[in-house]
This record gives sequence, structure tokens and C-alpha cells, in this order.
Amino acid sequence: MQVSPVFTAALLFVALSPELGLAAGLNNEMTKYVQGLETQAKKQESGFKGFDPERGKKLFFDARPNDKTGTISCATCHTSDLKKSGKTLVGKVIEPLAPSANKARLTNVKETEKWLLRNFKQVYGREGTAREKGDVLMFINAQ
Amino acid sequence: MNPFGKSFFAVLSVILSVFVLTAGPARGEENSELMGKVANKAYIKECGACHFAYQPQFLPKRSWEKIMNTLDSHFGDSATLDEATRAEILTYLVKNSADSSSSKLSRKMLASLSSTETPLRISDTPYFKRKHREVRPNVFKRKSIGSPANCAGCHLTAEQGDYDEHKVKIPKN
Ligand code: HEC
Ligand code: HEC
Ligand code: HEC
Repeated sequence: MQVSPVFTAALLFVALSPELGLAAGLNNEMTKYVQGLETQAKKQESGFKGFDPERGKKLFFDARPNDKTGTISCATCHTSDLKKSGKTLVGKVIEPLAPSANKARLTNVKETEKWLLRNFKQVYGREGTAREKGDVLMFINAQ
Repeated sequence: MNPFGKSFFAVLSVILSVFVLTAGPARGEENSELMGKVANKAYIKECGACHFAYQPQFLPKRSWEKIMNTLDSHFGDSATLDEATRAEILTYLVKNSADSSSSKLSRKMLASLSSTETPLRISDTPYFKRKHREVRPNVFKRKSIGSPANCAGCHLTAEQGDYDEHKVKIPKN
């Protein structure tokens, strides 16, 4: 029996990227974005073994000092239950972040990138690295 | 056959539509205190994500220009936009700024500023402070309000451009 090369390639791809299982449900555009982050993370960190939602969770809840609020974490605005609505520091309601509660989440790369950039700067005072962004997206996507 | 003919109705409809067009804006803007509704989609989406999308009529053109030219450091936050979106929003804000508005509120707002002042906040203007002098500073800090910038936290009809003092409800905590 002949095994199609495409099939072999697909199998290999899945085998080599176990973390893609975590990206379940993401559309094409977002899947490509996460794969791009993965390529970057591999280049930037020699020991990189794939994205980890547990690390993403830690990053999401890690509180940092902040001038206005004392401390701030991602959960300050998005709350600790991502299926619930959150609130900005200026009192505006934020629709739930969890894709299971809000279908529009993690569907538009431009939107997701824009907010990751802003929100990392606000909480961590710098941009997120490719690994951090991948980790936290895997955490959010699993909610 | 219709004794009036087609041209009669054409003239009538022109007269009617001129009437509607001129009567329209005057109702919302000129004499009442209404600010009108925010109408630009990009502005509502991008500038309404973190806070209430303020009516452009609250600030002069020079303020909006300064705000839109410093989005990377926006009140301790980053509100950076791609250039096309930024340009679209700036055009909308300038076109509808206090300088271009005939509403009473805009005129009072402008009158409260000297021409060298370029406020970045509505809540920093003498007009705002005068209107809110009966609101104690710690009231703005209540958990459900957070900040003077949260207009809709107290003005239940802010989104409709209605800041009538009888439609204000200050949350208790
Ligand atoms: C100061 C408040 C605030 C903090 C802190 C914050 N966010 Fe956000 N976040 C927002 C707002 C506002 C939006 C956009 C609102 C909307 O789309 O409804 C947003 C949107 C997002 C989105 C966009 C999702 C999409 O595709 O629509 C992601 C992802 C996100 N935040 C992740 C994070 C992470 C990770 C952190 C911590 C590093 C964080 N946020 C901290 C306010 C905040
Ligand atoms: C990432 C979040 C974020 C986005 C996006 C954002 N802002 Fe803001 N904005 C803030 C914060 C934070 C403040 C300070 C609020 C406070 O003092 O409580 C603020 C304050 C303001 C104020 C002053 C409010 C007052 O006190 O009178 C204006 C005006 C303003 N923003 C305009 C804009 C415009 C125009 C845009 C769109 C280009 C925009 N904002 C987008 C976070 C944001
Ligand atoms: C803590 C609640 C609170 C917040 C937040 C708040 N206001 Fe007010 N505002 C009031 C109260 C109360 C009055 C009526 C004061 C009076 O009549 O003594 C008022 C009056 C006004 C008036 C005058 C209305 C009139 O008919 O004279 C305007 C305009 C106004 N507010 C605009 C704003 C804007 C714009 C914001 C956001 C940038 C804002 N307010 C935020 C409570 C608030």
C-alpha cells in the first residue's frame, strides 16, 4: 500500500507540534499567527518545547506594581473568570475573553495583536515575547 | 389625469426636503443642551473600547489634534492605531469639534478656555469643573465610577448626548 506524501507530511506535522492541539477551534488566520509565534519562539529560546497554557495562566494572574491601582494583572480588567464580563480602569464593560463565551474572541489577528501589545505594555511595561503571547493565547483559548 | 402634474410634486418634495434638512440639526444642537450621538464607527470601536466614546463637541479642534498625535502615550496607556484609522478618526473629531459645533455646551466649553490652553481632558476644563463642583472628589473614586472620565457611570443618557442634570444617577458605591 502506498502512503500519500501529503498524509505523511500532515502526520509528521501534527507529531512535531503537539501544542497545536491546544489551538483547537482557532480559524485559519489565527492558526497561522500562532504557528508564526512558534517559529519565532524557537529562534529566540533554545529550550523551547511548545506553548504551555499553565505558564500562560501564571502570566495572566501575575500581579505587577502599578501607579494607579496599586497592583495590576490581566485579571484586573478581564476578571479571574474569563467567561464573565470585565471592566477597564475607566469603568467600561469588556465582553468576556473566553472564546467559549464570546465567539468573536481570537478570530481576528489584527485585533488580537493590537490588544496583546497594549495590554502587555500596561501590565508588564514591555511587549510580550513570542513565547509569552503563545502561552497566554493557549490559556485563553482553553477557557 | 392628475390636475397638478408631475412637476408640482417635484417642487413640493424639494420644498419639503429643504424643510426637513434645515429643521433637523437645529433641533438637536442649537438651542437645547443635547450633544448629539457619536456617529463614526471607527471612533466608537477604537476610542470606545477603554472608556465612553466622548462626543467630539466637548473639546476644541486643537485638543483632538494633540490627543490624536500622542496616542502611543495616552494617559499612561497605549492607544496606537494604524495610520489609516488614525486619519479617519481625526477627520471625524475635527469636523465635529467644539469649534465647528453650534451647541450651547460647546460654546460654553470654548468660552471657559483661553486660546492658549489645549486641554487633553474634558474633565480638566473649567467648564467641566464648574458643572461638577457639587460632586465631591471621592465620589468619582467610588468603585462603580472609578474616574471623572467615566461619564456614562453617572449620566445614564450620555450615549444619546443628553447630559440633563435630571438624568444623572450617582451610584452609591
Ligand atoms: C487596563 C485594562 C486591561 C488589562 C490590564 C488587560 N486588558 Fe486585555 N483588553 C482590554 C480591553 C479594553 C480590550 C478590548 C476590549 C474588547 O475587545 O471588547 C482587551 C482585549 C484583549 C484581547 C483581545 C482578544 C480578541 O481577540 O478580541 C486579548 C487577547 C487580551 N485583552 C489579553 C490580555 C492579556 C494577556 C492581558 C495581561 C497581559 C490583558 N489583556 C490585560 C483591557 C485590558
Ligand atoms: C487602551 C485604552 C484606551 C484607548 C484605546 C483609548 N483611550 Fe482614551 N483614555 C484612556 C485612559 C486610561 C484615560 C484616562 C482616564 C482616567 O483618567 O480615568 C483616557 C482618557 C481619555 C480622554 C480624557 C477624558 C477626561 O478625563 O476628560 C480623552 C478625551 C480620550 N481618552 C480620548 C481618546 C480617543 C480619541 C481615543 C481613540 C483614538 C482613545 N481615547 C482611546 C485609555 C484609552
Ligand atoms: C460622579 C458622577 C458624574 C460623572 C462621572 C460625570 N458627571 Fe457630569 N454631572 C454630574 C452631576 C451630578 C451633574 C449635575 C450637577 C448640578 O447640576 O449641580 C453633572 C452635570 C454635567 C453637565 C451639565 C449639564 C447641564 O445641563 O448643565 C455636563 C455637560 C456634564 N455633566 C458632562 C459630563 C461629562 C462629559 C462627563 C465625563 C467626561 C461627566 N459629566 C462625568 C455627575 C457626573
